[in-house]
Amino acid sequence: MEKILLRLVYLFRPLISGRGIDFEKMLVIVDTKLKMDQRRVYMNWRQGKRKENSNHLMIALFFYGFMGFVMGSIIYLIDNFLTIMIFTHAYILFMMAMILITDFSSVLLDTTDNQVILPRPVSSKTLFMARLIHILIYLFQFTMAIAAGSVLFTFLKYGMITGIAFVFTTVLTVLLAVFLTYFLYLAILHISNEQRIREIITYFQIFMMVFFTIGLQVLPRLLNVIDVRQVVDLKGYMYALPPVWMALTVDAFRLMQFDSVHIVMMVLSFLIPGSGFWILFKYLAPGFAKRITALQGTSNKTIGEEKNFGKIERGSLSDRIAEIACNTPAEKGSFGFTWKVTGRDRNFRMQFYPGLAYILIFFFIFVIRGGKSIAENWQQLPETNNYLWLIYLSMLSVSSSLTIVAYNDSYAASWIYHSTPVKKPGEIILGMIKSLFIKYFIPVYIVLFLIALNIWGIKVADDFVFGFFSNMLCFLVLAVLSDHYLPFSRQPDTKQQAGRFFVIMIQFLLVGALVGLHYVLISRPLLLYAVIPLLILGIVIILRTLRALPWSKIAI
Amino acid sequence: MSVITIDRLCKIYDANYVLKYISLSFEAGQIIGYIGPNGAGKSTTIKILTGIIGDFEGDVTVLGMDVRKDSLAIKQKIGYIPENAALYDVLTPVEYLDFVGRLYGMEKQIIHKKSTELLHLFDLGSKMDQRMSGFSKGMRQKVLLISGLMHNPEIIFLDEPLSGLDANAVILVKEILAQLKKAGKTIFYSSHIMDVVEKLSDRIVIINKGEVIADGTFESLQQQASSGSLENIFTTLTGNQEHESTAGAFISVINN
Repeated sequence: MEKILLRLVYLFRPLISGRGIDFEKMLVIVDTKLKMDQRRVYMNWRQGKRKENSNHLMIALFFYGFMGFVMGSIIYLIDNFLTIMIFTHAYILFMMAMILITDFSSVLLDTTDNQVILPRPVSSKTLFMARLIHILIYLFQFTMAIAAGSVLFTFLKYGMITGIAFVFTTVLTVLLAVFLTYFLYLAILHISNEQRIREIITYFQIFMMVFFTIGLQVLPRLLNVIDVRQVVDLKGYMYALPPVWMALTVDAFRLMQFDSVHIVMMVLSFLIPGSGFWILFKYLAPGFAKRITALQGTSNKTIGEEKNFGKIERGSLSDRIAEIACNTPAEKGSFGFTWKVTGRDRNFRMQFYPGLAYILIFFFIFVIRGGKSIAENWQQLPETNNYLWLIYLSMLSVSSSLTIVAYNDSYAASWIYHSTPVKKPGEIILGMIKSLFIKYFIPVYIVLFLIALNIWGIKVADDFVFGFFSNMLCFLVLAVLSDHYLPFSRQPDTKQQAGRFFVIMIQFLLVGALVGLHYVLISRPLLLYAVIPLLILGIVIILRTLRALPWSKIAI
Repeated sequence: MSVITIDRLCKIYDANYVLKYISLSFEAGQIIGYIGPNGAGKSTTIKILTGIIGDFEGDVTVLGMDVRKDSLAIKQKIGYIPENAALYDVLTPVEYLDFVGRLYGMEKQIIHKKSTELLHLFDLGSKMDQRMSGFSKGMRQKVLLISGLMHNPEIIFLDEPLSGLDANAVILVKEILAQLKKAGKTIFYSSHIMDVVEKLSDRIVIINKGEVIADGTFESLQQQASSGSLENIFTTLTGNQEHESTAGAFISVINN
């Protein structure tokens, strides 16, 4: 693959060489960068096993290619040309922008280049050309993966001319995506700093993962609901959307019809990406490079310091909650520590937040299930008891924080637990569990409660009160029966200990029993309130057990 | 013949002088220790001398060439080993060295021969084909040292070259520097580790707040500051003599 691409670059040799560009050195840089691209761990593919030798790039490309093929097949299956074209262009634009923001950002924002290549005898023009070609190859690979399926089916169904027009609009759409991404970065860089940009990228990445998880689960279900065959009727504002320009441009060539609307759309679809690119090269790119270079070293030290000073004065939110929720200093310390690190550690957020998306997915699968249409189900919803799912859905995804919290890249720093005179590590575990419960469970539960209140009315309140204690007990059952790791003390990627099947079964049975109990008692307030004291008793017992955990029970 | 001349060099960042009218010149075949507190302008000076930063005031020539005009030709003849271990760590040492070597225009076979031999000498032979992402700081530093020396440069610029190296590697690198000097190379060396600078350097330059505050052999600096070790000279000259009272305050806070 690499070799083919490089040979392709060779074809352009006469165009590139000369004018201060050393072609051989440029090729060496491009070659190395392509090699590194393959080894980079693609952000969206984190969950899977990481193998050093696997080619991450190929896996990502293959996945996008497969999705592109499925999308493309719609072109073949459905006859409404304009709708499908708008849809396809929107898909290409969205995917390309997302890939650029989430994956390519690490390449764009990488300042290692400056330190590795600048001290070597390479002219700045050579380096610039190498970067440009690297970006073009990157775009080429992903454009192929995303759009090849659509292009193929367009050629098959609508013939040469439409197909060629579609290839052109695809390229234009990609250019537009590049321009928009660049512009987004520049805007963020303008108002803030590198730290912030990385933050924002993290959220885009989380969004992307949520999008894929939901998309893969929910889209097939939605497909039979939304009638794709119906004709989009273009209203005024729709003419402002780039996919509509592109679609109408291709449409003009398909029908060979060049009326005023088609002409205007064609002009727009060439002019906007074209002039956007011109602006990019002429004005934005030089400033961008300078800003990126300036980012190095002198980051946001001053801003960070100021922020922290204010916090100490006021006492942060977590500290104030810790005062109420925890007893001993060690517990309070662990509570605040867990609260802060989970909020700041990128890996924790990357692993935890997408899990919350499952609430939404399960909402679709369980709450609004059934073979009938969604609208019909939705109307019947108030007559069902499906809010029981809502009560326990939050547990389902929030409980993952219990395992994730053990891992951290700076796991080695956990020596601090061992070098300080911690008599009862149970206090640390307890502080951590309380922190996770209050920070992640309660807000989610309140949101779900409000949703349920909206659909079913006030009668669910009793069940949610019961559910709160029941969930808390479930959470504690999971915590007390799992291996006890101190917060952020494990090396990422270490394997789960084997032989835990039995424990997992017990956890499953206990949680199942609690949900079952709730199912039996559902909507019987008197009985529900009668059982709550029993739940509280269970909670107190487990809290005591956890607090008393000795060192011998702590897993390392 | 002087291999490096710096004439009234100024560098301004955000309206602050990082370097203020520095004028220095260095002879070939010397080891120059360049020291100063954090933020004194050490790294900036090295980046200007190596042609990485081209935006400054004053005149700087290296090996008789103007760093602004002939930065490529200069880069070809010097080696630079940066301090913060920046390298492409998804590559293996062999791949990385191949990449860098080819940027110096070296032939693939020669690079391969040299880099494998040098890696073996640095005890990295067994790790040659592993990716560097798992490497310790010291191991990365060794790869960086090789990448800056492989093309046999005339002048070698080192920014904190010993950080992260274990005691044996430190001795080895010191010996390598001494032998490079014997071979007529010039070594420009910035460090915080005073006793190494003291023992190794033919000439010591101390800068503080962008200005040269001392320049000469260790012996002449000793006379200038009328005190014993380089550490003492350093604190005397950089005007940072409150260490004792700061330490006292520190102790009293702990005792509270």
